[in-house]
Amino acid sequence: MNLIREIWRSIVRRDPLSTDKGKSELVFLNVWLHIHPAKVKKENIKFRYSFYLGFITFFLFLILLTTGIALMFYYRPYPSVAYQDMKDLQFAVFMGPFLRNMHRWAAQAMVLCVFLHMCRVFYTGSYKKPRQFNWVIGVMLLLLTLGLSFTGYLLPWDQLAYWAITVGTNIGSYAPLVGGRLRELLLGGHTVGEAALIRFYVLHVAILPSLVILLTIVHFWRVRKDGGLSRPLWKLKPRKTEALVTIGAPAEVAPLHVAAASPDKTYGLMEVVTGKPIFETVTPEEEEDTVFSYPYAFVREAVALMATVTTVMTVSLFFNAPLEEMANPAITPNPAKAPWYFLGLQELVSHSALLGGVVIPALMVIALLAIPYMDRNPSRRPRDRKWALWVFTFFVVANVALIIIGTFFRGPGWAWVPPWVHVVARPE
Amino acid sequence: MNRRSFMSWGTAGVAALCSAVGVSLGAVGRFLTPSVFYEPPQTFKIGKPADFPFGSPTFLVDEKIFVFRHREKGFAVASAVCTHLGCTVKYFQSDQDFHCPCHGSIYSANGTVLHGPAPRPLNWFEITLAPDGQLRVDKNKIVPPTYRLMV
Ligand code: HEM
Ligand code: FES
Repeated sequence: MNLIREIWRSIVRRDPLSTDKGKSELVFLNVWLHIHPAKVKKENIKFRYSFYLGFITFFLFLILLTTGIALMFYYRPYPSVAYQDMKDLQFAVFMGPFLRNMHRWAAQAMVLCVFLHMCRVFYTGSYKKPRQFNWVIGVMLLLLTLGLSFTGYLLPWDQLAYWAITVGTNIGSYAPLVGGRLRELLLGGHTVGEAALIRFYVLHVAILPSLVILLTIVHFWRVRKDGGLSRPLWKLKPRKTEALVTIGAPAEVAPLHVAAASPDKTYGLMEVVTGKPIFETVTPEEEEDTVFSYPYAFVREAVALMATVTTVMTVSLFFNAPLEEMANPAITPNPAKAPWYFLGLQELVSHSALLGGVVIPALMVIALLAIPYMDRNPSRRPRDRKWALWVFTFFVVANVALIIIGTFFRGPGWAWVPPWVHVVARPE
Repeated sequence: MNRRSFMSWGTAGVAALCSAVGVSLGAVGRFLTPSVFYEPPQTFKIGKPADFPFGSPTFLVDEKIFVFRHREKGFAVASAVCTHLGCTVKYFQSDQDFHCPCHGSIYSANGTVLHGPAPRPLNWFEITLAPDGQLRVDKNKIVPPTYRLMV
């Protein structure tokens, strides 16, 4: 009995969780949990502030990693067998369809959630100082997420995959000067063929996931270092012009005068060094309600995790990921549509490949990246930033509208066909 | 080390680092560029003239070309690859035009764009008669739509 106790104590070295010390140690003695602070602001863990969209995105990514690795056991990235392996997964492999469905639906949900998360961050003004660069990292994560979807799309090697990638990579070749060469590098050739498949595979299973993991680590680290989530809008305080901060000062010395502490900043004791002790006093308003991460934050995160996994699993039980006929370079299905989240782009491209496929998307990405640096307005209050809110809302609505048009209102030959009209293909 | 030599060594060091990074990036770029493309040849034979009927064009699946044979004017070969984003166009004998399924480009029978986002007319390829009596198409040689091979 004693031995078992000793083993247990060697694994779990914290104090019992009934004590405050134990609750803190649970966080900072644990390599996985210590990205959290020991205590969090009570208001920040409310569902109605972040909707946990960042977490959900991350959990979807974890689902994608696990199901993706499982699929790799059966998938060979070679044209003649790739499609056959998909069929095997669909009909012969135990739980194959379920795993494939989970991977497919989680991928689509991730694109959606990463977008919604970005909207949440924008509408709450959380990209403002000191979080500017974390927004930039976020935009890179958004692009990587789209890149993962795009590269994954080719792998089943069916008609949908082949033509979506043919069209998609041809869009790139409209980029001035480098376009053609970029396409050649990506495809390893001039048409979508075996060289393209292996390149997309390597990008999809090795390079892009590694980059996402790397940037996610930085993203989380920065959320933590920026003092956790930004303060909910309903808790915003009147802006201070300056604040008094006492740093390591003995009582008889006057407090150091420090200008303008950001009202959103929390200060943490990061390290103890020898010499004069460092401590800080915070204004009473900074010392607002905080609660221990255990259990309050962890329970909510665990609920978000379980809700995400359960939803993906349930959807995967009832809806099958599509698989069309094997890729046939000679016959383009009519209409040939990209995955839904690229249909806005396809709609633009149907008007002009250079403008819609290269110039507008490039400007959009640049604008997104520049938002925290262009928006010089320090206030996070909606009523102070009407202009910014209108512009961003226009961006969101335009994207959604284009996607809806591309998805539901385009028929054969990309002609305008409302969903309630049925068209029959013309005879040849 | 004095300030001056620190600066010059420093500059040399930064320059060396930059060129090393530049060379490495170049090498990676070159590594990713295939030296050999295992792709179908651009010049190929498609069979004897008698294999091709008059009237509506013959679509060759693997080569993605339409072979036209006209009684008086002879042979011509049009590319089936849409100049917009590379989908395979279809020929409609009834209207004598090409339709692209992807974004709705329409080309006239001689390949000019009638409608849609296609930026250029369809390509026409050179077709010649090989010494063995077979027709030979060269996709590297773009010809005007009026080009005809008389047999
Ligand atoms: C793979 C994609 C991403 C993952 C996994 C991710 C994850 C997270 C998580 C877990 C949080 C903390 C709380 C929450 O909001 O749930 C967070 C916060 C944040 N994210 Fe993301 N994110 C991603 C993409 C993005 C994108 C696309 C943007 C913006 C363009 C962005 C910008 C931010 C910012 C600025 C914060 C701090 C928000 C605040 O302090 O209120 N992230 N992210
Ligand atoms: S690829 Fe033909 S119209 Fe776009």
